[in-house]
Amino acid sequence: MRKSSTPIRRTLMNMIFLSSGVVLLVTSSAFCAYEFLTFRQSSIQQLQILGRAIASNSTAALAFENAEDAASILTAFKSDPHIVAAALYDIRGKVFATYPQELPLDRLPAQVGKGFSFSRSALIGFEPVAEGPKQLGFLYMESDLNAMYSRMELYALIGALVAALSLSLAFLISRRLQYRLLQPILALADTARAVAERHDYTVRAAPTGAYEFDLFTDTFNQMLTQIQESEDKLQAQVGRLNLLQHITRATGERQDLPSIFQVVLGSLEENLPIDFGCFLLHDPGAKTLSVAALGKKGIRFAESLSLLPNGSVPIDQNGLSRCVGGQLVYEPDVSQVAFPFPQRLSAAGLRSVVFAPLIVESQVFGVLVCARADGQAFSSRECEFLKQLSEHVALASHQARLYGALQQAYDDLRQSQHTVMQQERLRALGQMASGIAHDINNAISPVSLYTESLLEREPNLSERTRNYLTTIQRAIEDVARTVARMREFYRERDAQLTLERVEINRAVEQVVELTKPRWSDLPQARGAMVDLQSFLADPLPNIMGAEHEIRDALTNLIFNAVDAMPTGGTLSVRTRKATVADGETRVLIEVSDTGVGMDEDTRRRCLEPFYTTKGERGTGLGLAMVYGMIQRHSAELEIDSAPGKGTTVRLNFPAVTSSVVSQPKAKSAAVVKRPLRILLVDDDPLLIKSLQDTLQEDGHLVTATHGGHEGIEAFAAAAKRGECFDIVVTDLGMPHVDGRKVATSVKGVSPTTPVVLLTGWGQRLIATNDAPAHVDKVLAKPPRLHELRAALAELVA
Amino acid sequence: MALLRGKRWLLMVVVAGLIATQALGAADAPTENQVQAVFLFNFSRFVEWPPQAFAAPSDPFVIGIVGSDPFGARLDEAVHNEQINGHALIVRRFRSISEVDNCQILFIDRSEIARLGQILAALDHHSTLTVSQADGAAQRGVMIQFATENSRIRLRINVDSARAAGLTISSKLLRPAEIIGTDVKEQ
Repeated sequence: MRKSSTPIRRTLMNMIFLSSGVVLLVTSSAFCAYEFLTFRQSSIQQLQILGRAIASNSTAALAFENAEDAASILTAFKSDPHIVAAALYDIRGKVFATYPQELPLDRLPAQVGKGFSFSRSALIGFEPVAEGPKQLGFLYMESDLNAMYSRMELYALIGALVAALSLSLAFLISRRLQYRLLQPILALADTARAVAERHDYTVRAAPTGAYEFDLFTDTFNQMLTQIQESEDKLQAQVGRLNLLQHITRATGERQDLPSIFQVVLGSLEENLPIDFGCFLLHDPGAKTLSVAALGKKGIRFAESLSLLPNGSVPIDQNGLSRCVGGQLVYEPDVSQVAFPFPQRLSAAGLRSVVFAPLIVESQVFGVLVCARADGQAFSSRECEFLKQLSEHVALASHQARLYGALQQAYDDLRQSQHTVMQQERLRALGQMASGIAHDINNAISPVSLYTESLLEREPNLSERTRNYLTTIQRAIEDVARTVARMREFYRERDAQLTLERVEINRAVEQVVELTKPRWSDLPQARGAMVDLQSFLADPLPNIMGAEHEIRDALTNLIFNAVDAMPTGGTLSVRTRKATVADGETRVLIEVSDTGVGMDEDTRRRCLEPFYTTKGERGTGLGLAMVYGMIQRHSAELEIDSAPGKGTTVRLNFPAVTSSVVSQPKAKSAAVVKRPLRILLVDDDPLLIKSLQDTLQEDGHLVTATHGGHEGIEAFAAAAKRGECFDIVVTDLGMPHVDGRKVATSVKGVSPTTPVVLLTGWGQRLIATNDAPAHVDKVLAKPPRLHELRAALAELVA
Repeated sequence: MALLRGKRWLLMVVVAGLIATQALGAADAPTENQVQAVFLFNFSRFVEWPPQAFAAPSDPFVIGIVGSDPFGARLDEAVHNEQINGHALIVRRFRSISEVDNCQILFIDRSEIARLGQILAALDHHSTLTVSQADGAAQRGVMIQFATENSRIRLRINVDSARAAGLTISSKLLRPAEIIGTDVKEQ
């Protein structure tokens, strides 16, 4: 309250006092003025009357000049004590008699005047003395005004008393009236203060019973009601803003759609609140909406709505179609809408529904459905709120999708990087293996050739020598096979798979044998015992496949089984034939262990690339390779496993229906009888020496050259001489000039001369028929004598 | 006190009178006769005559003097152009009562006092105010007698004579005057 403002009570009192004071003052003044005037008038009249009487009585005295009589007549003025002087003048203006008699003459006017007049302190007057028409003289009278003044004093006294009394009465009455007048104002002021201080807009001013005040209080109350309404609206708006903020923050913290939808629905059900809420995702192709998320609170409605997670809702000609068109649709009463979905809502006990579109980049990708059991239950502000919310949710969903896509891309990238690294490592290993294999093959070639040659050509060998040589030959073949398999294992994958008939049992036996160090020797070194049992069905149909891939897969499975049994156990490998319902025959390979087994999560993920339980020891590629092989062979993979119960991996291949068994080609006994002129090209002196020795023993004419360049020159020189070689046997891998160039040069000089390529990588070239140009035959190292002879016979004959 | 005051007033009047007499001189000082002439005229104001006193409305109001005239021109001056109730005032002088006709005021001079009885008898049944300055005239039936007391003229009025003549004398005139009854012995 400002300092300058005065309490209304005092102001009112001042006003009452001022007004009554002014009224009293004016009234008193008027009264006094009136009294003054009338008193003057009446004084004049009284004096006149008295004067006339005295004058009338004085006529005889004047007429007959009886001064004593005149003086005695004048004594009649004694009746009025205010008359202080009087005199009779004769007709000539001479003083005839005075009152009082001893009055000094200078006290009287020298001249006779006329009429009455007021001097400062007295009323004086002249009255003619006449008898009939005859003027006899004048009577002078002087009345002091004390009477008037004393009367005025009396009036003033009475006036003051009356004023005091009036003001006292006014004070008392005004106090009484003022209370009645002020009570409503003060009550209103108290109410207003209560509102202002406590911000409590629910208080109301009580009616007072006075019309104007009631008008005032009504207006005041109306104002309060409006303020309260505004306040409520504001609060609701703030509440919704907070809710929006809360939801926005909550959705911002989440990156996946279901979680975003759930948190939005939860907040809406809790805070808006709504009775039922769900998110539908739009499938433009199928023209349906699928249920993406359902609010927890509204689940009972969802059941009666038969809206289940991932269920779908057709977009018919109802609010949904408009909503999918991008509009926010509010159905205040769905029972009045004849279309199926609103009717379903209505049947479930929901009356008012809002469909809010989720729009991203001008595309409606979903709909937020909010419903309440009461009709007309959503205000326009709530609709606006839901619209804004849906925009936020759409944005958040969009971001979640983008985030998901980004995450996926990142994962893919990382996986690709891992794959590339892995492949790079494998490739390096493979190259290394190939180099080792090449060197080993070169190294063992003389052993193989000489052993074979000795066994074949030396008839006088003792039994013991023959036995030893035979053992050496078998060992060399084992080494050659092992090296070949090692190479096979590390070789790069072909883009296209060449399928051929595969004898599963043979492949299994080979793998079991090949992996023996792993399942037998290594565990034994640790003191564990792995018992391998093979149950191979015989006969077993062949399958179409890539044998090396199948072998790799089986190797991996056996390795895994061994790893799963660190303390030993039983490793079973079993093959069998199975016939499924439609008569198709299948070939099954099972690899079982009695190891630790896998839990559900591991079992589900074990086929993923780079997923490993072996830590640093594993690459995570084994089962992935198995799975890749299975897919390439149109086969099936089953894994039965439980923690502590061991693991069984079952490979299921379609069998080849025809029973035709490929017959291995009968070894050609053809041997070239005539001596041939043979050019040998190789950079390995041991190999070339052994080849030269064995071929010369067959009676051929062998020219050995060391290196490609020397070979080409020798061939060219021989051709010049007209002694062209019948055949050229060259190594593939040589420094500077390799076997391919040699072959090209040879064919350039003499196109009809056959070229045999010997290679440490030969196995692969043979398998894939990947013979380089100008090469007529590829032979793997270590060369077998009978293979060499067969090749010579085939090419030269 | 009143007595004292009265004495002082008297003294003052005397002193004033002396001063006035000294100042105005003998020339203007009104004689007794002059004053009586004015008085004679003034009586017309304070006495009421019955209507039959005038034979006709146009009749003049007559102030008659019987005997020698003590007033001379003074009285004529006093009544000049004066009227009483529409009657013009005139002065008539009579040598004897026999000459006296209808007059409203008759001054009976001291010289005629010997024949007073005769005069009054002649005026019987007439509404005539009789005035005289002769001593004892009032007691003898004259209505108003001038009497000089302390050099002041006083009036002695015989109310019975006036009432008998049908005249009404104003109480104002009566109040300062000395009321005299008719001395039966005199008649």
